Order: sequence, then structure tokens, then C-alpha cells
Amino acid sequence: MDKNTAIVADIQRASLHDGPGIRTTVFFKGCPLSCAWCHNPECIEKAPQTLFYPEKCIGCGLCEKGCYAGARVICGKEMTAEEIFDEILLDKASYAGGGGVTFSGGEPLLYPEILKELIALCKKEGIHTAIETSLFIYNPEILGSVDLVMADFKLWDREKHHKYIGVYNDKIKPHFIMLDLLSVPFIVRTPIIPGINDNPEEISKIRDFIKDFKNILGYELLPYHPLGESKREALGLSLNEFKIPNRAKMEELKKYADL
Amino acid sequence: MLTYKDRISAIRKTKIQHTLDKLEQNGYTDLDDFGTVPLPEGYRVEPWFNSENGSFYCLDGMSENFCRVMDAHPPYVDPMELLCGRWRDMLVNYRGDLHYMPKWRKAQLKDEDLTGVTNQWSKRWDEKNFPYDHLKPLQKFYNIQTGIDGDAHLACDYSIGLGLGFGGFLEKIEKYRKINPDKADFYDAEEKCVKAIIRFIERNIEEIERLIKAEARPEIKASLEEMLEVNRSIRLAAPKTFYEACQWVAYFNIASRIYTRDGAGFQLDTLLYPYYKRDLEAGILDDEKAKFLIANLLLIDPHYYQVSGVDAEDRDLTNHLSYLILDACDQINISANITVRYHENCDKEFFRKAVYYLLKNKNAWPRFCSDKNLSEGYMRNLGVTKEIARRRIAVGCNWMCVPGIEFPMNDTVKINVAKVLEQSIKTMRQEGGRPSTERLFDIFGRHLEKAAEVTAAGINLHIDHQAEVTPELIMNLMMEDTLEKGLDISRCAKLYTVGVDGAGLAVVADSFGALEQRVEDEKALTWDEVFTCLDNNFDGVMGERIRLMLNSAPKYCGGNTPADRWAKRLTDCWVEKIKSTPMPEGRQLIPGWFSWARTIEYGSAVGATPNGRRTGEPISHGANPNPHFRNDGAVTAQSNGIAAVQCGWGNTAPLQLEFDPQIAEDENGVEIVSTLIKSHFENGGTLININVLDTEKLMEAHKDPTLHPDLVVRVTGFTAYFASLSPRFRQLVVERFLQGV
Repeated sequence: MDKNTAIVADIQRASLHDGPGIRTTVFFKGCPLSCAWCHNPECIEKAPQTLFYPEKCIGCGLCEKGCYAGARVICGKEMTAEEIFDEILLDKASYAGGGGVTFSGGEPLLYPEILKELIALCKKEGIHTAIETSLFIYNPEILGSVDLVMADFKLWDREKHHKYIGVYNDKIKPHFIMLDLLSVPFIVRTPIIPGINDNPEEISKIRDFIKDFKNILGYELLPYHPLGESKREALGLSLNEFKIPNRAKMEELKKYADL
Repeated sequence: MLTYKDRISAIRKTKIQHTLDKLEQNGYTDLDDFGTVPLPEGYRVEPWFNSENGSFYCLDGMSENFCRVMDAHPPYVDPMELLCGRWRDMLVNYRGDLHYMPKWRKAQLKDEDLTGVTNQWSKRWDEKNFPYDHLKPLQKFYNIQTGIDGDAHLACDYSIGLGLGFGGFLEKIEKYRKINPDKADFYDAEEKCVKAIIRFIERNIEEIERLIKAEARPEIKASLEEMLEVNRSIRLAAPKTFYEACQWVAYFNIASRIYTRDGAGFQLDTLLYPYYKRDLEAGILDDEKAKFLIANLLLIDPHYYQVSGVDAEDRDLTNHLSYLILDACDQINISANITVRYHENCDKEFFRKAVYYLLKNKNAWPRFCSDKNLSEGYMRNLGVTKEIARRRIAVGCNWMCVPGIEFPMNDTVKINVAKVLEQSIKTMRQEGGRPSTERLFDIFGRHLEKAAEVTAAGINLHIDHQAEVTPELIMNLMMEDTLEKGLDISRCAKLYTVGVDGAGLAVVADSFGALEQRVEDEKALTWDEVFTCLDNNFDGVMGERIRLMLNSAPKYCGGNTPADRWAKRLTDCWVEKIKSTPMPEGRQLIPGWFSWARTIEYGSAVGATPNGRRTGEPISHGANPNPHFRNDGAVTAQSNGIAAVQCGWGNTAPLQLEFDPQIAEDENGVEIVSTLIKSHFENGGTLININVLDTEKLMEAHKDPTLHPDLVVRVTGFTAYFASLSPRFRQLVVERFLQGV
């Protein structure tokens, strides 16, 4: 693959939940983790994939000539920095109220070269940049050049981390310490998955670990939502049975997340 | 002791009951609420028909029937309110306007009255004396809403009426009757109408007197006594106080609604500010009472009012009353058609508050318009100065008007461009030769030119003869040069900047985009395959596959899509054809994009289209994109797409946005929506209508409207109680909302 292209799963405009203000979120494809509850399971594999929605099939029998019914949807498009940036620029006027672009995924840090180009292009146009990352990969050049980092600290317990996420968190913890040295504001986030990390111990340990960081803006708990399940089904993956945490549980846990 | 808060609460309850009662009496209206109240038992008007077709026209017909309907109107005094008077019936109910005729009126008609009535405006125009059969074939060919028989789509200069009062109108009529003795019929008719309004006020005065005698609560008795004093004062004299000005406006609006359902308001904050300030200084008014009066006025009639804006010297017009108006809307929280005029130097706190209330109440008010893009566009027309452009305020669904001097016919004239596309495809096939999008575009331009010509002919017929069919007897009272010259405003306006809207832009743009992409670029389809599918309405599995191929091509508002580029080209073509259509006597046409709420009706006239739309399906709404224009449905994409297709001559291509209430819960919701509004205007947008609706509530109300009689939705430019909409219309709103969020 040419170093100046990336596989992009989607570019979502007018995103209101991936950072401050109105944002364009670029979802890069590929992730070194495989969280069981991932809400973007189509972004785990780097290569383009086909999602299958049989209920939309009209039975024309011409799948090989392309599906227009939405039954077979190809996810993943190879794009250059310029092509991605053209999309980002479309909403430039809407970024005025604190918005901008968010690089997400998957793990955007799998594409350092294209991120470098994109960040430079955004800076030239005065567009705020943010990145959503698991910090499994640490790239000080990229992380140090964006305006905001939103880093997921998913689980404190080492074994559970390996069990549900596919890797140990040994590398991730020091990356948080190193991130704080970069003088870039960052937000730490934990997805709350009932039965796995919805307990005060997990949250308190993460909170204690991050609370003295100098550049941390906040610690957010994000309730699990099952939006990824229909995509898992469309990808032929086994389905999960995680529950949505109730409001009372979220409120209770928030007390332990207070910095 | 009852406080204003208690009284607002009681008024709201009454309003909800009225909505339910009206549903029973009127059936579904598919219209603005208009502030009407239910009819009393035994209400009946005997109309006087001066035409053999069972309708009435001209000065005598309109003035006589206005008096009959006005005189039949009982007084309306609710001791909980400060203002009195309401309307219930209008003249058009007696002119064969079946489409919007309420259930109670239909029940009064004998069967033979309905014979031969085939369309909604059947008897509003005097076709015997002013026929236009020669225009009808082409009007039908292009599915044109002609504007012939339209009325009241202009704006009064309320400063004229507030300065004169009803007695002053009579004096002015007398004065100019002497100067123009040949215009006796005109002055007779005007005088007759004003006297009917005065009689209506007198009946309300009698009712207040009756209620005072029966009232035991001291604070309400005192309130009724003040109401009595105000009504006695403004029966003839010009209003002197804020209270009197509000009551006077209420009476005028009631009269103009009864006459022709006129819905144009005025610049509410600046016009009433001198009264507010004077009374405040005199110690006879405080902010709480001022808010209650404004709320009461909006309850009586949700006219289109503008607030804020900028004057000819670039000074912000926001004043303290602007804030009170927003607070009043918040308190009463009904169907309000308030438009905030945004400009570069507007009061930021005020703008923020307006957005805050939009999100807080989720009742689709206020709307927002851009001073810069409207004023600069309008100034391109002949005879329009900066001062005039700044006075051109938002007073209608999609439209603006200069009060007192402009005759715009706005929102009454539309060309269904989806129909023009259908005819263009037929022509291309009939001509033979090799089809192409370029050729189709060229033919489309030629058809559009013809459509514009026949539309202009209809407009000119209307302007030439409206005075002989439906003279604007009530609005004339507050227009310039009308009473002075003894002329109807349709004959003496200083500006005839007539709006012509295109409807169905997204259908046409997406059709061109799909043909370019699937047929010409990808060669995935042939022209013949597309033509066959259009003929058989995408019949069969392979037809459906082709329909989906066309429908899945990147759409208008997708962002730099072929359809986006076509939308711009189509807009340029539309503007060029409309602006280059010759008009006589200094009249000018102004292009815009707007469908009003007629997407179903217009769609039913159009066969299958190359964007994958089946025969008879609704056309696209206003300037909005087709459903599923992007997977993420990004509001910014929609905003940018619509900003790029503004016609640029002072009329609008509105942006209609639908938001889930989650945006209101978001701590940054106000900031986000403010940014969206500002960025749309920075990109060239003119008018924004926003619905923030609770999906669950909407779906419940769709199933059973009586469950939520207070639910208000912005249908197009106007807001309506959801309960008053027919199931078909509710479905349209629900679909648009679900696709938009």
C-alpha cells in the first residue's frame, strides 16, 4: 500500500459526539485491539470488507455486478490525504464554534504518515484536530501535534484486559504517562460494560492512575451501546449479549470517576 | 389572587380545548392554526352571491360579504386574558374553496353547490369576466401553480393604522373621497368594511360590560374594567398605549384574517417599542404585563412577525422588547411564527436566547433569516435601495415583503420543475438522436423558458384584474397610495417584485446526477434501459434493480457530488430563465426554491423520474435534499448544499432541519445550533426552519392526535398543531422528521 493512502471506513460529517462542537469524524480501518463490545467492528480489520444485510436483498441475482439494494455493502475505501481533506473542508464554516476534525477508527495511529499530512493541512486552515486512540500505539509526533487527544482506558485489570480486548494493557499504562509529558490536553474515557468493568474498583483504579496528570481535561464514562451488534451480524461475527448500563449505575460510577 | 402565570396557564388549557373542538368542527385542516376559536352553536352566514357561478367578486361582493361574516361573528372575551376578540370564519369559505373548506361549512352546502367544483380554487377567480383558457394547457403541461386568484400575500405598514385608528381610517376615506370623486365605489366599499370592524369592537365592548357585572374576583373585575376602557378608546381613536396598540393590532388582524386569511405581521419589536417605552416611563406598564400582552396577542393570532434585524444605517434593531417577545413566546408556548433576523452585528445574547428557547420548548419557534443575503439579493432588483431592502421583513412561510409598498404575490406562484424534467425527457425521446445529459439540460432550459413565459402571463393577468375580483379592501387601509388615490394595492404598489418558486429541485438534480453517473460515466445502464423503466414505473425485479442503481447514485447535498453540481447548474438556469422573462410596467420576477406543503400534490402529477422516484410519489420538499441523501444525514451537508442553490435576488430557498431532542439535552446544544445557523448564513443561506421533536411523542400523536393536542410542528414555513393535520399530512411530517434526525 502506498504510504500516502489509508483505508477509510467512513467519514461522518456533523458529528456531535466525537469531541467539542460540530466535527467531521474520519474512521480509519484497522485496529490492533479487538474489544468484545466494539461499536465499530467493521473497523477492526484493516482490509476492506463486505457487510451483508440479507433483508435488503431483492433477489436480482446480479451480486457480482454490484449490489445497489444495500444488501452487500463494501466497507473500506483507499483514500489519499488530499481526498480526506477535501471532505473535511466541506464543513469548515461549521467548525467555528469549537468544532473541527476527529481522527477515529479503528486506531488512527496505524496511519502515521497520512495523519501527519492531514494535521498539517488542518493547521494551515486553522481547523481544530482531535484524535481518538486506545494508546496501544504511542506516536509522540502525532499525539503532540493535535489539539486534543481522547484516549480510552478500557480496563484496569490486566487479565480481563487480555480476555476482552485481546492484548495486555502493560504497554498502555506507560503510554498515558508519556502522553501527559507532551503538553497536549487530553480526555480519558472508559466504556462502561455491565458485568465487566461497571464496578467502583475498576473506575477508582483508573481514576487514581490519571488524576494527577497535568494535561488531563477530564475523565468520562461512556455507557455501552449495542450499535455495533447489527454490524457484527452483517460481518458474520458472533453476537454479544452485553447489556446497556442503566442511568442509576452510570450516576453511581461517575462519583468514582471524579477527578 | 390570580397571577399572570395562573392566567397564562388557564389560557393554555383553553387553547388546547379549542384545538380539540376545532378538530371536531373543522376536520383536518392541514393549515396554520391562525388563532381561531370554535364556532358557536347556530352560527350561520347567508352569503350574497353577485356572480351566477355562486360566488362573489369585486368591491361590492367582497365588502358586502365581509360585513355579513364580520357581523355574524360573536364577541369573544375571556376574563383570563387582557385582549379580546377572535375570528372563526372567513370569506373564502363561501367562494367554493373546497380544499380547505372546514367540515362544518361543507355540511351546510347543498349537493348542487358542489357540482362542477373540481379543484380547490374553483370559484375564487372570476373566470367568466377574466378567462385564461388560453394559458391553461401549458399551465397544466408544466404543473404550474399560477397565482391567479391568490390574495393577501403582501404586508401592511402597521405604522399607518396605529397612527390613524379605525376612526382615522374613516376620516382618511372621507378626505380622499372628495379628492377622487370618480372612485366612489372604492371608498364606499372601504368605508363599509371599516364600519363592520367598528361594529365588531362594539359587540366586544358590550360583552365586556356584561362580564364585569357578573365578575366576583376583584383582580379580574379590575382587569375587565381596564379592558373595557382600552376597547372604548380604540373603537375610533388611534391607540395611545402599549395595551391599546396590542388590542388594536388584534382587531385589525382578526378583520384581515376574516377577509382573506392574510397572515403577514410586522416588525413586532421596533414598531411597538415607542409605546412600551412611553408607558414604562409613565409608570403604567411593567415587563410582566408587557409580556402577558404580547403572549395574548400571539394567542389571538400567530401572524408572521419579525424581531431583531438591522436598519439602513447598519444599527442593530434589537431592543428590550425583543427580549420580552421571546419571553412571552416562551410563556404562552403555542404555535408562534416569530422570525429572528440575524446579521453580523446582532445582539449575541439575544440570538443565543432565541436558540435556547427553540431547544427548550421544542415547538418549532423561532425561525431565523439572514439579513445580509436577503438584503443584498433584493438590492439587485430595480428600484430597491438599501433602506428598502432592510425594511423587507419576514412575514410569510418562505417570504419577505416591504410593508406598505410591495406587491410580491410571494408563495402563490410555483413551477413544478420535476414536471418540466418529465416533459423534457419526453421531448428528447421524441426528437430522436443520441440522448445525453447535456442535451437533456438544454431541452430542460427551453421548456423552463416556456414555463416561465406562461407563468408570467398568468401573473400579469392576475395583477391586471385582482382589483376587480378580490380587491384587498382590508390591507388597502395600511398601504401607501391606496386610499390616497382610490386604488387597490394591486394597482398602485411601488414595487412589483413578484416571487416565482421552483418546486422539486432535488428530484431534478438527483435525476441528472444519476444519469451522468450510471449511464454516462459508469455505463452501467443504457439510456434505453432507463427510458423503459420510466415507462413501466421500474416494474419487476430488474426494474427495481435499476431503480436502486439510480437512487443510490450520490445525491444533491451529498457534498461535491455530480447531483450537487447539477443543482447549481439548475439554479443558474432557473434564475436566468425567470429573470429574463419580460414583464410589463416595471414588474419584476424574483426566483426562489420552495414547494410549500404541496409535495404530495405536485408529486401526483409527475411520472417516474430518473432519480429512482416512482410514478406519483411526492416530490422533494422545498430546497431540501431527497431522503437518504447521505448515510450520516449530516445537517452540515444539507446546510451547505442548500446554501449553494440560493437564487440570489432576495427570495429564499429555505433550509428545513429536523432535530432529535437529544440536541436540547446536550450541554453544548445552543452553541452547536447557533453555529449551524451562522455557518449556513455565512455560506449564503437565507431562511432556516427547525423542528426539534420528541420522536416518541410524535409517533404517539401520529397514531392518536388527541393524545398531544399541544404538539406543534413546523410544516413548511408555517407551524401547525399536529392534531389539525390529516393522516396523510402527518405521515409526510413524520417521514421527513425520521429521515432528518
